[in-house]
Amino acid sequence: MSESFVSGPSVGSAAPDLVVPGLERRVSHAEPRVLAFVRDGKLTEPVTELPTIRAELRGLGAELVVVSPGGVWSVRADDPLEPLAAASAELAAEVSDAAQRYGVTHDEDAVFVIDGRGVVRFNHRLERRGRALWATLTDALTIAGRAAHMREGHDARQRVLFTRREWTVTCLVVGCATAFLSACKEQEHRPADRRSPPAEPAPPDVEVMLRINGTVHRLTIDPRTSLLDALRERLGMTGTKKGCDGGQCGACTVLIDGKRVVSCLTLAAMVGDRDITTIEGLARDGALHPVQRAFVEHDGLQCGYCTPGQIMSAVALIREGHATSDDEVREQMSGNLCRCGAYPNIIAAIQAARRTRG
Amino acid sequence: MQPFAFVHADSVDDALATGGRDGARYIAGGTTLVDLMRLEVMRPRSIVDITGLPLTAIEDMRGGVRIGALATNTGVAYHPLITTRFPALVEALLSGASPQLRNMATVGGNLLQRTRCPYFRDGVSPCNKRAPGSGCAALDGYTRSHAVLGTSGRCIATHPSDMCVALVALDATVHTRGPSGVRAIPIGDFHTLPGDHPEIESALLPGELVTHVELPASAFAARSRYTKVRDRASFSFALASCAVALDLRGTAIRDARIALGGIATKPWRAREAERWLLGRATTTDNFRRAAAIALEGASPRPDNAFKVELARRTIVRALQRGAS
Ligand SMILES: Cc1cc2nc3c(=O)[nH]c(=O)nc-3n(C[C@H](O)[C@H](O)[C@H](O)COP(=O)(O)OP(=O)(O)OC[C@H]3O[C@@H](n4cnc5c(N)ncnc54)[C@H](O)[C@@H]3O)c2cc1C
Ligand code: SF4
Ligand code: FES
Ligand code: FES
Repeated sequence: MSESFVSGPSVGSAAPDLVVPGLERRVSHAEPRVLAFVRDGKLTEPVTELPTIRAELRGLGAELVVVSPGGVWSVRADDPLEPLAAASAELAAEVSDAAQRYGVTHDEDAVFVIDGRGVVRFNHRLERRGRALWATLTDALTIAGRAAHMREGHDARQRVLFTRREWTVTCLVVGCATAFLSACKEQEHRPADRRSPPAEPAPPDVEVMLRINGTVHRLTIDPRTSLLDALRERLGMTGTKKGCDGGQCGACTVLIDGKRVVSCLTLAAMVGDRDITTIEGLARDGALHPVQRAFVEHDGLQCGYCTPGQIMSAVALIREGHATSDDEVREQMSGNLCRCGAYPNIIAAIQAARRTRG
Repeated sequence: MQPFAFVHADSVDDALATGGRDGARYIAGGTTLVDLMRLEVMRPRSIVDITGLPLTAIEDMRGGVRIGALATNTGVAYHPLITTRFPALVEALLSGASPQLRNMATVGGNLLQRTRCPYFRDGVSPCNKRAPGSGCAALDGYTRSHAVLGTSGRCIATHPSDMCVALVALDATVHTRGPSGVRAIPIGDFHTLPGDHPEIESALLPGELVTHVELPASAFAARSRYTKVRDRASFSFALASCAVALDLRGTAIRDARIALGGIATKPWRAREAERWLLGRATTTDNFRRAAAIALEGASPRPDNAFKVELARRTIVRALQRGAS
């Protein structure tokens, strides 16, 4: 399974040459096409997939050419399958060269879409996952079709390069001899229709174990519940405040695994196995956390609504260690707004707490 | 928020199997998705939690770097491989959102964040992006935040990402995995212009998962910078931003990358301006000329006409920082 394209043409670059005997006639002129490299050496007719392949080809106004060391075929929407070249040593050598120019190794399958100017517009490395050649290729064609449609649909300049009608899809099937026949058997066991939509489930509630300030709470929640609402509405922990409910004010800041986040944009169902710290969890044995003390001492608040968020953010800021100057502290506290404008004293409190600690 | 089924993916295969279903969306940091679901601008029928997938690594790749789609914006911004090799990406990431949001936001999610166009977000105005075919309230509306490059008669919304602008200047490639295999998409092809279909914003196909982003080693990466201009000192989207990357010999420009944010419908590469700079000296006059070329195709409206000059000056400043 290839993780990435290490060589071969990338999207937007010129398509390498393709000199396959029997094909020059079709590929030497500048016609848009898709090339699919697959590793099978021998080809049999697609039986189950042929209607789908033809439908895709019709949609694309396209031709499919299948090349392998075992032969070269053309598939068109409305014509019978047409053999273009038979197996030969010469063919095998050419397809192996071509595959190399396209950066496809002998155990890989890949599809390239090339427009009328010889520029690669789409590349796709296929994964068989035990499925047969034609099943995989059919998927690839569908995806190439969708990509083409998307592009054509909204990129005006691209549309001039290739319209749907002038598309030709050419699939070159290149490779070394592997167990194509056994793959055909697997194909019979393939589920009848992988694309049918699943039956619509009524969204069920989810069970979540929230570990908050060291205590585990087991909750059954609607998946829409934010961590903020779980804290305030379900657990009665109202120290964490709701300001904007959209990530813009920082009033709802809590720590997850020691990192500050906004709890309004955190789904409670996603943080079941994490350590959550809220403003209620900062004091130890009745003694305020140093940052809390500093906010009291420096009067780092007016109405106090933003304060729990400011303090949680400041605790994390000090731990992160990226800020020392007042300007840096201001920048690193930019996610916490204070509508009362208590900023000067907030900065003073944080600097005092930071210095005491450092 | 509309109801949805919640699915936790244990493996990439698992994610692809569930993420390919009709109406399904992946969720990573949730900072775009939860926000837009709450506004009912996005209404997925199911969401697939991908935060458990092993896609967080940041690794050396032949002098370049490979960044997992689930690496957080904070994780990338402070990673030694990034801070030593790709300064523009660090500056772009740290200029975006707030520390809390950067801790949550992932590279994959940042690539796919959606516009802040107020008519898109309000859930009721005509908006071709939110409700295809309904019209575009911005065309006759207040457009101070809207785009001047890459607009169409159907949508003029700005692409809001800072990170993506740096990725464009650094020649990134986005790697994806879908039900039938993997793809490599150059960053310039990843985001798409609004054209007639502003609802389509990227080359990503339904169910396809971004797995990682690759930044190649290059002669210009070391001299890359990101300059962002906004309404307030911090925690604000760009009015105009510019990522530059320069390869210099003395004061001669051997290679240049210029990418723009805050003023275009997708992270914008100013190729003509780059070409014009080749072989020229790093003078302010040349930078001004390049900036003028970059904005030649601009189609401003009365409310956002200021962005044309602002963007030009941002480009000049970014180039000066890159050259110094
Ligand atoms: C108040 C606020 C201020 C902000 N300011 C800035 C700013 O100044 N600059 C800036 O650049 N950004 C800003 N942002 C946007 C922020 O950077 C993005 O919301 C964030 O990067 C999205 O990442 P996420 O992981 O949270 O995405 P999510 O919300 O989890 O996902 C976003 C989208 O991407 C899809 N997705 C996520 N991961 C993958 C994947 N691996 N494969 C396929 N699809 C995927 C999801 O399905 C979803 O559609 C701000 C956001 C907020 C809320
Ligand atoms: S500019 Fe785009 S996003 Fe904004 S209202 Fe118009 S169509 Fe919608
Ligand atoms: S309530 Fe969460 S950021 Fe405002
Ligand atoms: S003290 Fe009132 S909002 Fe900050």
